[in-house]
Amino acid sequence: MAVRRKLIKERVPTPERPAEERVKDFAEVNLGYTFELAVKEAERCLQCPYDYAPCIKGCPVHINIPGFISKLVEYRDDPDKAVKEALNVIWACNSLPATTGRVCPQEDQCEMNCVMGKVGDKINIGKLERFVADYAREKGIDEELLFEIIPKIEKKGQSVAIIGAGPAGLTAAGELAKLGYDVTIYEALHEAGGVLMYGIPEFRLPKSIVESEIEKLKKLGVKILTDHVVGRTVTIEELLEEYDAVFIGSGAGTPRLVNAPGVNLNGIYTANEFLTRVNLMKAYKFPEYDTPVYVGKKVIVIGAGNTAMDAARSARRFGADVTITYRRGPEDVSARIEEVHHAKEEGIKFEYFINPVEFIGDENGKVKAVKFEKMKALEEKDSRGKRKIVGTGEYVTLEADTVIIAIGKHPNRLIVNTPGLKVERGKIVVDENLMTSIPGVFAGGDAIRGEATVILAMGDGRKAAKAIHEYLTKKREGQNA
Amino acid sequence: MPYKILDKKELAMNEVWYKIHAPHVAKKVQPGQFVIVRAFPNGERIPLTPVTWDRDEGWITLITFVRGKTTMRMANELKPGDELLNVAGPLGNPAPMKKFGKILAIGMITGIVEVFPIAKAWQEAGNEVTTLHVSPNPMVILKEEFENAVSRHIVEGFDLQPGWGMNEIAQELVKRAVAKVKELLENEHFDMILTVGPAGGQKAVFNVVKEFGIPMHADLHPIMVDATGMCGACRVTVGGEVKFACIDGPGFDAYKVDWDELIHRSGFYAPMERLALETYLKQLQAQGGEQ
Ligand SMILES: Cc1cc2nc3c(=O)[nH]c(=O)nc-3n(C[C@H](O)[C@H](O)[C@H](O)COP(=O)(O)OP(=O)(O)OC[C@H]3O[C@@H](n4cnc5c(N)ncnc54)[C@H](O)[C@@H]3O)c2cc1C
Ligand SMILES: Cc1cc2nc3c(=O)[nH]c(=O)nc-3n(C[C@H](O)[C@H](O)[C@H](O)COP(=O)(O)OP(=O)(O)OC[C@H]3O[C@@H](n4cnc5c(N)ncnc54)[C@H](O)[C@@H]3O)c2cc1C
Ligand code: SF4
Ligand code: SF4
Ligand code: FES
Repeated sequence: MAVRRKLIKERVPTPERPAEERVKDFAEVNLGYTFELAVKEAERCLQCPYDYAPCIKGCPVHINIPGFISKLVEYRDDPDKAVKEALNVIWACNSLPATTGRVCPQEDQCEMNCVMGKVGDKINIGKLERFVADYAREKGIDEELLFEIIPKIEKKGQSVAIIGAGPAGLTAAGELAKLGYDVTIYEALHEAGGVLMYGIPEFRLPKSIVESEIEKLKKLGVKILTDHVVGRTVTIEELLEEYDAVFIGSGAGTPRLVNAPGVNLNGIYTANEFLTRVNLMKAYKFPEYDTPVYVGKKVIVIGAGNTAMDAARSARRFGADVTITYRRGPEDVSARIEEVHHAKEEGIKFEYFINPVEFIGDENGKVKAVKFEKMKALEEKDSRGKRKIVGTGEYVTLEADTVIIAIGKHPNRLIVNTPGLKVERGKIVVDENLMTSIPGVFAGGDAIRGEATVILAMGDGRKAAKAIHEYLTKKREGQNA
Repeated sequence: MPYKILDKKELAMNEVWYKIHAPHVAKKVQPGQFVIVRAFPNGERIPLTPVTWDRDEGWITLITFVRGKTTMRMANELKPGDELLNVAGPLGNPAPMKKFGKILAIGMITGIVEVFPIAKAWQEAGNEVTTLHVSPNPMVILKEEFENAVSRHIVEGFDLQPGWGMNEIAQELVKRAVAKVKELLENEHFDMILTVGPAGGQKAVFNVVKEFGIPMHADLHPIMVDATGMCGACRVTVGGEVKFACIDGPGFDAYKVDWDELIHRSGFYAPMERLALETYLKQLQAQGGEQ
């Protein structure tokens, strides 16, 4: 490893659109690196050895981070080659880098223990990953790489059905197709992508990126059947008759509601409904698009995860005055730091330690205010390491004409009701190979974890693909013997 | 996943019939279930009910009441040979199939299409089914089909008066439905009543049925978006609990439904729906002007 002449302590910033401008539209907020800027940031990396590099350990799918970063520096005179080499390294572990580079909670994962943090800013791994993926997509380098892979695929003559086209299902599908299996995805909605398509807004993850990932899967021969609701259109039992194995990646789509009177008043949305209307159905373009959404002047969002930030920032883009309310304190906010920061820049207010107890409506059944109980935190921690909170018996009422509930989700009920499928507290139970209680049926992503992250879902998809490959290899050999 | 329109015709005023190639639905659909249709790239997802189907040939039929932008655009712009972009399903739970005895199944205007598959199956399951279609005369449909399928089919029709809008029609419908149901229940014994949405008329009928204490199955029509249990748009209060009509229903025990809440929720987007329709009509006018 070449000895660096000088430590560059400060991160090369990525250009961002100013808050005043971006709250007026749904275009992307962060503009990402150019090749030049990416190389400059890449040069700051200390190139820690593979076995030691804490960034690799922090990444749930263990991308060889110094490996891909070094390619950018090494081939700096040939940007296309640099990106192709870097993408090749990333693809060994992660097939959706344009997405993860944008939405991973990097501060808790790859960037958390970056060695550079001891002397200056940590390396901006997420934005570098995003750069590689974006540049490759724009220049067609990703397809070039894909077309090098496709002719090498050896057909196995066995087939796998995938339930759900979210990050878990898409990743499993891609890996299995590369291993030579015939893969068919069953997706309930009219578009593939899962939360990436219906939940995470355009300004954070442009839909064209997700669409391009799906196009690549199709080029690998993956068949996608939209409009197929497993549990209704076809059952898992029937899939097992037709396919050699099944992977469940149906996510955690069922929204949790606040258990308080008035929750069904008009103007009260679950974050899922609000975001689906806005993202999947493009209600921000109503009436050019037919699906309406109602955003009043004062919007209250309940909850403080990524979903809450996305709902709040979407509502803000309709010109509303938006307040995020959370029953705990700022230290327990679970959303990515970047999103909280962006939300604050965009003028979204935060109210901590209040918990909704009643929704108050007008004579037409439309919400006009929310009554909250003030909470306080105790020193004692709960099982998730958050300080316990208790009610104080004091109340506060905030006016609102739209309320968005973003307090979490359960796995899809149509799937968990499958006979013989072991489920605990709504989550599908799997063994260390991600196989469920039904032989030949595997599962991963939010369906087994509850609400988690894109990268964990993808990690599961990849792991399940390996396990399915082993399972089907045995099955094949058994048949041939 | 495009779905070919095999045939299309106007059955009566504002009532359009479509025969759609959708083998995945045709193979599985049961009476009481519905589909979600998306017809245009910038369009909504709307719930509709398969009226008849052929499992082997892989088609279903749908009948829409032209009431807002989507149903109007479908009526104006789609022709046989075109394709629907999406037909998802079948969705929802099948209607309970057992022997109840004597059944009265009520549909208002196009609501009668949803009654058809259930009434037919109930008759086949050994029940004695009376169907009641309350409708303006120019919108009476499926008369022969019902007469062939159930013990007795009653059409309670009325003429449209000049100057009537949707509100007046709806008032007349409810008035007629309430009077006719009362008359039937006073003179005959029934073991089970069925109604389908919209909620206003259902509630009025329920208020009559309630007095006779007869069990009533109500297929609800809340607004739906995904209809896979993911969004909660379709939530209704049944027996004091929040239910999602798309996966827990659409059929519920009418005695347990919070009707007023359902009526409020169904009407929430009316001003925006009107805006969408008006914008569309203006576009049509502008196009007409250019030609
Ligand atoms: C608004 C929002 C913002 C988020 N932000 C972030 C973020 O910034 N970073 C991050 O890492 N994570 C984020 N997450 C979490 C992340 O999106 C999820 O953990 C991840 O998408 C889970 O992937 P999955 O493939 O398991 O499921 P999903 O993405 O939920 O996909 C499941 C798919 O299965 C389909 N399906 C469900 N039931 C059926 C059925 N019966 N038949 C057929 N198909 C079915 C669904 O329609 C869906 O397409 C966010 C989540 C939300 C809701
Ligand atoms: C389970 C179920 C089965 C149905 N079956 C039929 C059928 O077989 N034939 C038929 O003509 N109609 C049926 N409907 C009603 C049908 O979905 C609406 O007529 C249609 O959505 C109107 O769309 P539009 O754009 O033309 O009118 P809009 O102007 O958008 O709406 C007019 C009215 O229709 C209702 N509506 C609008 N959007 C939705 C939605 N997404 N979900 C539910 N209701 C909505 C509302 O009450 C609204 O006020 C069914 C509804 C449900 C829930
Ligand atoms: S996948 Fe996520 S955690 Fe891993 S390197 Fe990329 S951004 Fe970091
Ligand atoms: S820990 Fe930081 S400095 Fe070390 S290799 Fe990873 S990114 Fe580079
Ligand atoms: S329509 Fe979305 S949950 Fe029922």
